Amino acid sequence: MYPGDHGNHEEELDALFQAYRKACPDREPGVNFMPGVWQRIEAQQRNTFSFLRMERVFVTVAAAATLALGVYLYLPQNSSARAGAYQQNYLEALADANSVETPDIVGPLRLDLRRDSNQPGR
Amino acid sequence: MLVDFELIARAQQGDAAAFNEIVSVYRKRILGTITRLIARTEDVEDVAQEVFVRLYFSLDQLRTPKVFEPWLYRLTVNAAYDYLRKQRRRHEFRMSDLSEQQVMLADAAAGGKADQEEQQKKRIREAVDSMLGAVSEADRILLMLKEVEGLSLKELEKIYKVNENALKVRLFRARQRVLKAFDANVQGQAG
Repeated sequence: MYPGDHGNHEEELDALFQAYRKACPDREPGVNFMPGVWQRIEAQQRNTFSFLRMERVFVTVAAAATLALGVYLYLPQNSSARAGAYQQNYLEALADANSVETPDIVGPLRLDLRRDSNQPGR
Repeated sequence: MLVDFELIARAQQGDAAAFNEIVSVYRKRILGTITRLIARTEDVEDVAQEVFVRLYFSLDQLRTPKVFEPWLYRLTVNAAYDYLRKQRRRHEFRMSDLSEQQVMLADAAAGGKADQEEQQKKRIREAVDSMLGAVSEADRILLMLKEVEGLSLKELEKIYKVNENALKVRLFRARQRVLKAFDANVQGQAG
């Protein structure tokens, strides 16, 4: 029993709780109780399954996209590298780019003397 | 314990027949407890089904079959608490849908059909529900488990996973509030 200044109402309250227990006795479930439980379990399992399936599809699509992007980024670099690396070495490529026959580098120096002599003060 | 450990272990391993047997053994008790906790007979089966669905999906988390009953009570309390919280949100809407006259007519019709004993039970239920309105839903459930279901402090300790002293303090405060409401009710009837 709890202490307090509510006097004999403590006992009345206890009696009321007991009366409440009798007014709401244990009850038998309806005939659809068990089938209802299983329906809910199966519905929840279906939801979980479809979520997992969606998750799996999403992961597969993401992996395929990553792979495709990887291949796309890798292939062009590889083909250009192969073309440069295996057909000639660095010096050959440099020589090709700056040939000895190139006039800009090794050609005779031309001076425009006529223009220089016509200038005033000379 | 109403079932043996071996049955629980079988249900934990996914044996549907074992699970069915557990539900068959406990459903009457759980239905009774929920009836007293939520005080709405039309939704009792729905909440009880929810308890057993939660039990099915959480059985693998049960470490030892020894704590099965407190575990089941805990699921029951949580389901009842969730229901009451949802109900509280719907309640204002439902009541605002009906005019006062409609509410009185519905009550009168229900009263006319029920016999005297049923009316007496109804009055008791209403009196207790009204008094328990003085405490929070969590305290209402705790008081119900202690005072109406007759669970011991040790059992409540396992269900709530709170130490006995904390439970005593909480129960004492809740009971004092209910007693205050009871006093006011008695004085109201006398005056």
